[in-house]
Amino acid sequence: MFGRIWAIALNTFREAARIRVLYGILVLVAGANLMALVLGQMSIHEEQRVARDIGLAGISLFGSLTAIFLGVFLLYTEVQRRTIHAIVSKPIERWEFVVGKYLGMAIVLTILVGLFGLAMCGMLTLQGVGVSSAVVKAIVLAWFEVLTVAAIAIFFSSFSTPFLSGIFALAMWSLGRVTPDIQAAIEHGSAWIQATARFALEIVPDLHLFSPSGRLVDSATVSVHGDFITWGYVGLSALHALGWIAGLLAIACLLFQRRDFA
Amino acid sequence: MFSGPVPETENVIVVRDLQKTYRTPFRRRKVEALRGISFQVERGHIFGFVGPNGAGKTTTIRTLMGLIRPTGGSATILGHAIPSRAARFKVGFLPESPYFYDYLTIGELLDLAGRLFGLEARERKQRADQLIDRVGLGRARSQSLKKFSKGMLQRAGLAQALMNDPELVVLDEPTSGLDPIGRKEVRDLILELRDQGKTVFFSSHILTDIEAIADQVAIVARGSLQASGTPAELVKRTVLGIDVKVRLAADVGIDELTAGASHVRRTADELAVTLAADADVDAWLAAAHAKGARVVAVEPRHETLEDLFLRQIAGADAASAATEGRV
Repeated sequence: MFGRIWAIALNTFREAARIRVLYGILVLVAGANLMALVLGQMSIHEEQRVARDIGLAGISLFGSLTAIFLGVFLLYTEVQRRTIHAIVSKPIERWEFVVGKYLGMAIVLTILVGLFGLAMCGMLTLQGVGVSSAVVKAIVLAWFEVLTVAAIAIFFSSFSTPFLSGIFALAMWSLGRVTPDIQAAIEHGSAWIQATARFALEIVPDLHLFSPSGRLVDSATVSVHGDFITWGYVGLSALHALGWIAGLLAIACLLFQRRDFA
Repeated sequence: MFSGPVPETENVIVVRDLQKTYRTPFRRRKVEALRGISFQVERGHIFGFVGPNGAGKTTTIRTLMGLIRPTGGSATILGHAIPSRAARFKVGFLPESPYFYDYLTIGELLDLAGRLFGLEARERKQRADQLIDRVGLGRARSQSLKKFSKGMLQRAGLAQALMNDPELVVLDEPTSGLDPIGRKEVRDLILELRDQGKTVFFSSHILTDIEAIADQVAIVARGSLQASGTPAELVKRTVLGIDVKVRLAADVGIDELTAGASHVRRTADELAVTLAADADVDAWLAAAHAKGARVVAVEPRHETLEDLFLRQIAGADAASAATEGRV
């Protein structure tokens, strides 16, 4: 079983590595870090803060957008180009194919987040600041966010076109980032807003968990520039991500199982 | 205790009343792609599946290979009800107009196929090398599939279908897009597979290919099976007519010779006619001799698979038109 999943993952990695847009995104992230350097110089003794904020925002934003892009295209193009015909006619279960595709994407995204993180750490080192454990925790959290977004995209891609999947995944990602605001709407909004907000909270993963800087955690405000969350928090957030990833992939596998490849 | 599948005699494929109905996305109109197809494929035979475009050949094959779920009926492959992963271990499949990952080389494609069949690394390498040479792609080893011609892709598809040394080989239009030499090579490969004891199920538009190599034939049209059996059973051996060709000067009148002929072709110095099966050929030849003709050929005309095919398709079209008329 793992051999077949690994074969698909390896092939997906090869396929994704050929997508030139990814190299463009790498250039964008390098550019964002350079911009952080310039903006830092323009600030009053806030160079490190600017570098951290822009670096982490870049990982989260570009990582998630890349995850959506890969997720909505890589599975769909297999069906569209009919490359899947020669694959699922071999002794591989369809769920193994979906999991293999996700695993391949996860490897690509892990390498991208790793490169983004290295660029950011390089920038911080250039500025004479060490890489704190808070920064490492923030990068790990961003990585789990990106992996969750990839699962969202592949879930929609299992039954929809890239355009619709992209819109749905972007909407879910955006809602997931503002779950505290949705929570607030439940407390203060009218009846129908409350009902809608409650429903939204049920169907979106709490992606806000993965960018806790500036939020209240256990009655204390945490910041990547000062007192940050514990590794225990990172572990719990990882479990939250893994739960969503497993759930979304399970539904994607069920939907994919029922599809005709005509 | 025996827990494997129960073999259904020596039939490698058994299809019973297989149906597939699609619904159009918005109007939910029914489209019947398969209307209850039944046939069997015997072990060690070459089975030719023939029909016009849109007849249901590819839908049948994709249903057998687990790509499409049937809406009715049943089928077994090597004793396993479809879709069966266990059966797919022993089946090699070449899809119609095969699409592969164009960034891979032929070696990488075969390695991927071998991994999906669970072959060990050494076996994958050995088998891939053999197959690359067998399908004549040795010189293209280092090229990506993107640079392959259609014929080369077809060969690559055949190689990946044979990676698991299958008992049953299913080929959807294997000679499509190939030049005459390529078609001959594919036909030879199919015959070689049968000689190795494998069963080959292949679809084709090209009736001469089917007639040349198939042990069993099924004709499908409009989602229904029109006829099936061995070519000898299907094609009538009775004489349909007699083709006569004579050399004859251009200025000689031929009215007497062409009366009653179903087909006449006149060139500068030749006359070819098709006479009725019960025509008096001796009398016709005597009349031709009297006009100074010299006999080139006299040949009885039997029904061909093409005649049968055209007759069956015309019948299916007429039946379908009658049904639609009633509706």
